[in-house]
Amino acid sequence: MGVMPVQRVQGRVQGKSRHKGVVGGMKTWAMLGVLALSSLGTSAAVAARTMETKFGEVSLPDGQPQRVVTLYEGALDAAIAMGITPLGAVASRGAEGVASYIQPQAEGVQIVGTSRETNLEAVIALQPDLILASSSLPEAQYQLLSSVAPTVVPDVPSFQADSWQQETRLFAQALNRTAQGEQVTNAVAERAAEVKAELVQRVPADQRDAYLMRWMPQGPLVMAPTIFSARILAEAGFDVHDGGLVKEGRPHSSPLSLENLTKADGHWMFLATLNDDGEQALEAAKKSPAFERLDVVQQDRVFPVNGQLWTSASGPLAAQAILQRIEQVMDSTKP
Amino acid sequence: MSNQHTTPRMLPLLVSGSLILAVTVLASLLLGAGEISPARAWAALWGYGSDEALFVLYELRGPRTLIGALVGVALGCAGALMQAVSRNPLAEPGLLGVSAGSSFAVALALVLGASISTLTVFVAQAGALVGCALVMTAARLNGLGHNPVRLILAGATLTSLLMALTSLLLMFDQRSADEIRFWVIGSVAGRDMSQAIQVLPFIGVALGLLAFIARPLAALALGESVARGLGEKPARIRLISVLVVALLVGSATAIAGPIAFLGLVVPYIARHFTGPDIRRTLWLSAVIGPILLIAADTCSRLLAAPAEMPLGVMTALLGAPVLIVMIRARRMPLL
Repeated sequence: MGVMPVQRVQGRVQGKSRHKGVVGGMKTWAMLGVLALSSLGTSAAVAARTMETKFGEVSLPDGQPQRVVTLYEGALDAAIAMGITPLGAVASRGAEGVASYIQPQAEGVQIVGTSRETNLEAVIALQPDLILASSSLPEAQYQLLSSVAPTVVPDVPSFQADSWQQETRLFAQALNRTAQGEQVTNAVAERAAEVKAELVQRVPADQRDAYLMRWMPQGPLVMAPTIFSARILAEAGFDVHDGGLVKEGRPHSSPLSLENLTKADGHWMFLATLNDDGEQALEAAKKSPAFERLDVVQQDRVFPVNGQLWTSASGPLAAQAILQRIEQVMDSTKP
Repeated sequence: MSNQHTTPRMLPLLVSGSLILAVTVLASLLLGAGEISPARAWAALWGYGSDEALFVLYELRGPRTLIGALVGVALGCAGALMQAVSRNPLAEPGLLGVSAGSSFAVALALVLGASISTLTVFVAQAGALVGCALVMTAARLNGLGHNPVRLILAGATLTSLLMALTSLLLMFDQRSADEIRFWVIGSVAGRDMSQAIQVLPFIGVALGLLAFIARPLAALALGESVARGLGEKPARIRLISVLVVALLVGSATAIAGPIAFLGLVVPYIARHFTGPDIRRTLWLSAVIGPILLIAADTCSRLLAAPAEMPLGVMTALLGAPVLIVMIRARRMPLL
């Protein structure tokens, strides 16, 4: 409800300022609008920076954005990686706060919603000067948000090999930290190359097949090789498969029949649940005889992973955390 | 089956019912969402075939068929009993909140720190008992008992309330959220056989009690004063009925979660063959229950292969049309 007046005031300002040259007599209206804008905390300065987003060109605040709100886990990750702590962020999927891997750096970040639902009033209350959102933000949401502050929705298709790098670069541009954006993405590439070198040296090429699973009470899910963490696994040298169980364009399969679990039996398995406790997922899975008899389980090559990090997060810091876990896994399997 | 209430007409019914049950069980063993074909499963049934086939047959399809049979008997009989006691053809544990009470009790116990393997059977039964007592009291409230649809409304309200409370618990405690979800979704796949064995005596006791109260129940169907005149004690019969329903529904929920509509459809079909006499409806329900549940479970595997559809969805698809037909029928049969 609180959004409506904001929209109205700002709509008027934009409408009038467009005609300012023609209708000089409306100056007072524009002044009023500027006042309204500044009272909202939105930068009233003439925007010098613009960037292309999914919903067209967006004018960005001049200089360094001060009051950033991220409505996407990948944006929170990218912002913190570039040294900017947002005022507000959305909770990790199925959790009350941000994902645990990023918690230490996200002290004091206020939760303004979940990945599915944004609390608009909470966003307005933070008086942001920049909003970073996910590429899947619906246009109606965008319209509301962009009346609060310039909103950057990356025009990047999901599930591509370089989706997260492209997104990070766009967020870097919005945050006026293009150089840092390059730096953090390159750092991930370097680290991944190191991990890959180790893997290539130790594991023969035909033993690098890996499955990423989520163990749910309804049944196990196979995650798609196109999702963020699977891309990182691939960059680190694993051959990530889905056993033909994931439909095109989906992040994961439907809950599988236990009869089909053998289709996800390879040399490596990374196992998560929706929340951050991978160990618990492994405990639950081990109660199932169908899981226990998999080769990968018999060979002791199942590794519990943090579901928030591996099945919900994205961004350069998440990539680093995933690579760190992969290194741990490699170390633990040293002969 | 050799008790005096079984009239000659019952015998062919029970025999043909048992034959259909045998066919259903066989179908459940031979068909699945996995790659083990009916032919291979048939061979495995006689001990031949690969480890994989033997495992699928004896560790996956076998147990779920057995659990399905148990749950089918429990819910079918509980439905028939509830309908007889409330003299309402729409009474059903799923629709009247007994299953929801059971789920809620389990959720509450988990949030309070119980472990999933210890308390659940008793907790589920306690929850069912409370839900059952509540709804049976509602059924006896002035004016409600003689209006089947109003009782269903009361039950639906109780169910929504309990489900909302369960959701609330899920929100408060993310950690047990996954474990609780297990109890919110009805399914017989991948369930623990040891728990099925644990509830077996309860179902046995409940069926024994049923045999004991079948005759008084039939007397009660003639009206309270007639029953008294025949030397029965209506209050005691009702109390035992509530106990039996709680034992049956609690046991079913403990091993398979809440499964709606089965308790509605099974006695409906049984009555079609036997007429309203509870002594016959009950025993035929004990055969039709497992037939329907196992058939629904088999369909749920085939329709969404390689994934599986939740069993609760299947039974709802089966049951909802029956409910609509019953409500739309011009003269609702009063029991």
